[in-house]
Amino acid sequence: MSLPAKKSNPWRKRLLIGGLALIILCAGVYWYYATEKYGDTKNVKADFTVDATTFIKEFIADDSAANKKYTDKIVTLTGTVSEIEAADTTLNIKFIDSTTGSYAIFAFQQQHLAEAKSVKPGDRISVKGSCSGGIYSEILEATSISFKRSTLN
Amino acid sequence: MKKTVLFLSFLALAGAVFAQKKTTTSATVAFDASTAIDALPKAENKTVIAAVDTKSGTVAFEATVKNFAFTNPKIQEHFNAENWLNSDAFPKFTFKGKVTDLTKVNFGKDGSYTVPVTGDLTIKGVTKEVSTPATIVVKGGTINATADFSIKLADYGITGVPIDAGKVAKEPKITVSAELK
Repeated sequence: MSLPAKKSNPWRKRLLIGGLALIILCAGVYWYYATEKYGDTKNVKADFTVDATTFIKEFIADDSAANKKYTDKIVTLTGTVSEIEAADTTLNIKFIDSTTGSYAIFAFQQQHLAEAKSVKPGDRISVKGSCSGGIYSEILEATSISFKRSTLN
Repeated sequence: MKKTVLFLSFLALAGAVFAQKKTTTSATVAFDASTAIDALPKAENKTVIAAVDTKSGTVAFEATVKNFAFTNPKIQEHFNAENWLNSDAFPKFTFKGKVTDLTKVNFGKDGSYTVPVTGDLTIKGVTKEVSTPATIVVKGGTINATADFSIKLADYGITGVPIDAGKVAKEPKITVSAELK
């Protein structure tokens, strides 16, 4: 006497396929976030475009309000370069408020370092970067406003 | 006449005192918490303020937390989040220390010197003492200083699943380098 054929459970199969699909989806989302990189700042639209001196004075007048307004935003500053600080692998461009010594400083994206090297103190430029906000420096007794991933505009 | 001499002497003295302090606003601090299973948690901040007083041997730096540039936006977000560095509430790292044996360096003579440095590192409002050897290279009046040391994240109240899971190093390496003129 032969045994009756075992009937497969359709729900079990569906759950298995659903589970597999979920694992693939999670792996895809994880892979997307793990390999995502910041794009070229040159291609990002600025949230604010401000004159460099006016920008620094905003932080001096009310750093709390200025930090709230500009931090984590893409900002373009236009002004006359006060100073360039360069070391082996870095080059930073600074706008300095001559009255207080407070300044805005731009660290460049790797792919834009070469073009930044052509800038000289006294040049009038427009530079765009991700604003990291301002801090009061006890060392310099002035406000330092820093930018990362910058590019000439 | 006496007053003029006194004033000029004061100016000269002020100039000499000022010359002892060398500063930069472009020092670099690298933070490396990468592990064998995750290479992403590392970043550099290239706009760090640093100072060395060649007479007293005091050294200091201040780094804006938000200016550590990661390649990955999610890691950048986590680094600054409230349960990690909480950069909105604690916007800077600071170090205030001293070369503990000034006889090991001659800031007036070109050369490479290894000196012991001890000081207070403040991260997320928590201050801990750090001691590390630093290399100082003096060349033509310019000082190049480098030092690296590790910190325990738990000492600064930084804990979380990624650390327990081995995706973020429990003791990241901090490297400081500065060219001071």
